[in-house]
Amino acid sequence: MAARIELNSLTLRYAMASTPAVSGLSCTIPQGSCVGVVGPTGAGKTTLLHSLAGILGKHHPELMVSGNVSIGDESFGGISREILFPRVGLVLQDPSVQISGVRDTVFEEVLFTLENVGAVGDDSDSRIQLILRQLGIEHLAHRKPTSLSGGETQRVALATILVARPEVLLLDEPISALDATAQARLRSILLHLRGTTTVLVTDTQIDFPLSVCDRILALDHGRAVVFAEPQQLLSNDQSLPMIGGWQRWRDIARELEGRSDSSHRDTTRILKAIHLA
Amino acid sequence: MTPRIDISVKLAVVLLLWVCAFAFSWMYQALLCLVVIAVRFTIPAFRPQSQRSARAFSRFLLYSAAVAFLVLLLNSLLIRGGTSYGTILGFALYEEGLLFGLRTASRLLLLTYAVLLFFISSPLKDLIRFLQTRGLSPSFTLILLLTLHFLDHLPARIHQIFLAQQARGAPVDAGVLARSRALLSLLSPLVLSSIVESIDRGTALELRGFLNRRTNCEASIPSGEGWNFLTILILILSMVILILTIFRWLPG
Amino acid sequence: MPSSIRRKIAEELTGAALPFVAFCIALNLTAGQLTAALKIPLYLDSIGTILVAVLVGPWSAVLCGSAANLLAAAFGNPTMMFFIPVVAVIGAFTGVLARLGWFRKWYLVCLGGIAQGVLAALVSAPISAYLFSGVMMAGTDFLVLYFRSMGNTLMDSVLYQGLASDPADKLVSYVIVFLLVKNLPQRLLARLHGAENLRPPERTQ
Repeated sequence: MAARIELNSLTLRYAMASTPAVSGLSCTIPQGSCVGVVGPTGAGKTTLLHSLAGILGKHHPELMVSGNVSIGDESFGGISREILFPRVGLVLQDPSVQISGVRDTVFEEVLFTLENVGAVGDDSDSRIQLILRQLGIEHLAHRKPTSLSGGETQRVALATILVARPEVLLLDEPISALDATAQARLRSILLHLRGTTTVLVTDTQIDFPLSVCDRILALDHGRAVVFAEPQQLLSNDQSLPMIGGWQRWRDIARELEGRSDSSHRDTTRILKAIHLA
Repeated sequence: MTPRIDISVKLAVVLLLWVCAFAFSWMYQALLCLVVIAVRFTIPAFRPQSQRSARAFSRFLLYSAAVAFLVLLLNSLLIRGGTSYGTILGFALYEEGLLFGLRTASRLLLLTYAVLLFFISSPLKDLIRFLQTRGLSPSFTLILLLTLHFLDHLPARIHQIFLAQQARGAPVDAGVLARSRALLSLLSPLVLSSIVESIDRGTALELRGFLNRRTNCEASIPSGEGWNFLTILILILSMVILILTIFRWLPG
Repeated sequence: MPSSIRRKIAEELTGAALPFVAFCIALNLTAGQLTAALKIPLYLDSIGTILVAVLVGPWSAVLCGSAANLLAAAFGNPTMMFFIPVVAVIGAFTGVLARLGWFRKWYLVCLGGIAQGVLAALVSAPISAYLFSGVMMAGTDFLVLYFRSMGNTLMDSVLYQGLASDPADKLVSYVIVFLLVKNLPQRLLARLHGAENLRPPERTQ
């Protein structure tokens, strides 16, 4: 069951840092939606994800926090100081470190997660098979996890998190090492998760989030610049140079609007179709 | 398929041989050494699990033979007591030293052969899983399994760093002092990268709920259901031998 | 295992410490590859244990050293099993010295290395003498032979050999680890339990 995420004037500052990593962030992420968090390097995307997963609070006790995060019905009075798995699952930027290295097959690697959360039962086998099938990696079930390609490793890493049925799924720059085919596969997985899991995806470029996300949250120097649906973003007159690829898509959208009598909504559909072709 | 003996039975056999190494005279110890070698070649469950194990066994046999010979020789030469059994290069060999050497060598061989037989015939992962069923904590289990993973990759990483440092002009072929300084330039990136990787891996483990893990066992391995009958029998035999030996040692 | 010890071990073994201890066990077993490549007459088979003692803690160092010797036995050198008490002492002693802040100053590191070597010689002597008659198929066997030919008992000979070689060996290992850790970034060390061992003490007003 997906969870709603509420950020209320969230500010996070590392000790000894002159500026906050995240500053005055306020937004509500509806349950079951997919939000793309975009911005340049150092914008605060990873910091935000880590704060939602609970790692930041746990490993940086000296972190200065103001504002509040709520996930579902739980409010943390700041951010969580404990890791929230399996409620919140995070796939790291380098998925290869997410593979434990202590299991001989992909199947056992995914089972490792169920053992950790105490969810091993009679249905474990079928639960794992289902996840592997949904991610298109059932043929890898008996392969060594350390012998896979980048895209396969990422899907296995995703499987190890999704098998625990998190309410929230966080993906840190998931497409950085993926080819076009693997990106398309990831896109269809995220579209499939709509409604059942709240997803946040970070990226320095807007291309991938545009094609899969319900909303885009653009960050720059830790501040939210815009939080809007893709079509609103593209028809926004505000200049957003910090978002990689924004200008290009803005130009395409304007070109299509100029040629067509259809509404902004159709523009977005056209853009998605172009992207998916 | 090779017939398998429960790991607990093998461990009990090691314990029995160790008790014998301290309880029996050198002649019986030497005989047991020969029995261990014969078992390695005859009983399928005690055969080496891999070529590497077989080579390790052969290598150790040669090494231990050399050690045993040196122990015998040095003690015969240096412990001067009892009858002289002849001379080597002008140095006399004495009975007391020879007996002491025989006792030491045969005990050492039996102790080491027992351990070696166990390890060459038992895959490490099976041993770790056995220990898990007997209560080894998830953290210790993970450390041991990760070590095996690192052992597969570390030599290549060391070689890579060696080549990279050599390309940077590290004095890997110069004098001892210069080469010692080069050692630091090799170890430093290795240790730093390992800390970074450990932090990432540790974070990933935490993100998968590992530190909150309650159960010791892997799902596919049932928790220990009591001891194998043969194991208990061998353990009882070991206890009996030990007790009888203690009684024999006690004065009066 | 008493619950107090379990608690101390659990405190040391943070998420990042688990893979690091595993890496150091592997390092103990493969460090010989480095010294062989450089043709340096050093063993460095305890370097991982000392690293863990300084950066994680004494209990983890005991685990590291013991596991390394156990695995060495498993890989074809069963004599290593009998020296588990020695490496356990190395790990525990080094961990205690690190907790006392001895790895902050080079002269304390040198003193600690020598003390460690003496302790290692004392603990290994009975094992080496009783089980091996002082024969380890190493160059130091000649030292044992020399001391025995001077009329010393086997135990004394092995002890003198240990005292002659172990302090120097451990001193070198300590200095190497000191040089490795002294410039490590604090933000990385903060994730390992032993970071406090290297941080300079805060000055009080």
